[in-house]
Amino acid sequence: MDFKFMMDSFPKIILAVPITLFMAFVSAGVGWFLGIFIALVRKYHIPVLTQICGVFVSFMRGVPMVILLYISYYALPIILYDYGQSIGATFDVTAVPPVVYAIIALVLDQAAYSSEIFRSALMAVDEGQMEGAYSVGMTRTQALVRIIFPQALAIALPNLGGIFIGLIKGTSLAYYVGVYEITATANLLAMPALNFIEAYVLTTVLYEGISFVFNKLFRNFENRFQKFRAGSAV
Amino acid sequence: MENTFKPETILGYIPNVLRAFPVTMEILLLSLMISLILGAFVTVAGIGKKKWLREIANGYIAFMRGIPTLVLIFLIYLGLPQLAKGVGIDLSEISKNAFIIACLSLSTSANMAEMMRSSYLAVDKGQKEAAYSVGMKEFTAFYRIVFPQALGIAIPAFGNNVIMLFKETSLAFAIGVIDLMGKARAVSSASYGANRLEVYIATGLIYWVICILLEYLSKITEKLYTKGRKKATS
Repeated sequence: MDFKFMMDSFPKIILAVPITLFMAFVSAGVGWFLGIFIALVRKYHIPVLTQICGVFVSFMRGVPMVILLYISYYALPIILYDYGQSIGATFDVTAVPPVVYAIIALVLDQAAYSSEIFRSALMAVDEGQMEGAYSVGMTRTQALVRIIFPQALAIALPNLGGIFIGLIKGTSLAYYVGVYEITATANLLAMPALNFIEAYVLTTVLYEGISFVFNKLFRNFENRFQKFRAGSAV
Repeated sequence: MENTFKPETILGYIPNVLRAFPVTMEILLLSLMISLILGAFVTVAGIGKKKWLREIANGYIAFMRGIPTLVLIFLIYLGLPQLAKGVGIDLSEISKNAFIIACLSLSTSANMAEMMRSSYLAVDKGQKEAAYSVGMKEFTAFYRIVFPQALGIAIPAFGNNVIMLFKETSLAFAIGVIDLMGKARAVSSASYGANRLEVYIATGLIYWVICILLEYLSKITEKLYTKGRKKATS
């Protein structure tokens, strides 16, 4: 093991951590929002949309992330270009940074997985809660936002923590569409002198550290949301 | 740039990509068997009486859940031979398939161990106590009373794990194994990337259909197995 190489490259790999986290946060933020939407669509059986969402979720869960990334990477420029043509403008699709393609694939993936979590969490909230909210004169939106969501979120949090860690691990695949996140940076640094073991030990340490921190954070959130769990005294 | 996407050609690529199906299946089945054996060892250590064994088991699970599979593959395929060379062991004879099977077995074994542990713990304690009370030995009680019930509880999670493992076999292309994904890359580079989007969509469809089949299989198995059995979960 070349410890000098490890000392030199550690700061360089750390510089890639923000990109990994950026991808994870944006994908989780947008994806989970879409996930709530899909969950509501499927809960209230909105015609046509329910079927589309069902197929979408099944597809996303059945296709490996790498293939989704490649499809996003090769399909979006075509879609963007065609759209540009149809409105009479020419987009320079080569100017789109690769991280955009990665984020789009990750967002769709998160939307599908989180929608299943939200769906089961919404189902787990007692029906009486909704009826209770109606009985005091709340509208459906008010009841959902004020009464159902906090409780559903408390139920969903442990699983959301799980898919978030999975998402951070999934960002490592963005390497294949040319995003210089942690894994790609480590690979780049290792290439010249073939310091693979050193570079990947560092990468492992970083990912383990990140997973550890987010596990702790989610555990913390879970405790805070505990008060919304049915049956718990505040 | 112009739109060269020909949706009508997508289905035509499926038979070509499917020729790599046996490779994917081989990786899937061997990793599945090894990960079940590894997972069983980790579970036994994790629910045993010795504290240091429990800690090793928990540490192993946490480690495997924190590291992206891609990084694990690079660490073992690129890093391990370097480390082994340092102590005079030559790993260059080992095939790429063996490396991929080793990596996937390791990463899946953590999920398998979690599945086994939670299903074991989900069987009501009274079942074991009742078995003891009619004079069964510890092994007989486990083998004849607890295990058959835990198996029924584990089937859905097992199905999920198999689907996840199946999707992860797509990472074998990262080290140049010609599995479904590797074949897709080979097919698309044979045409200098002209048909890459169509090929990746075709490959995505293959994965999707197989995942749907696996899910269906898991549901049927659960139904058949738990038919006529009482649930004795705690």
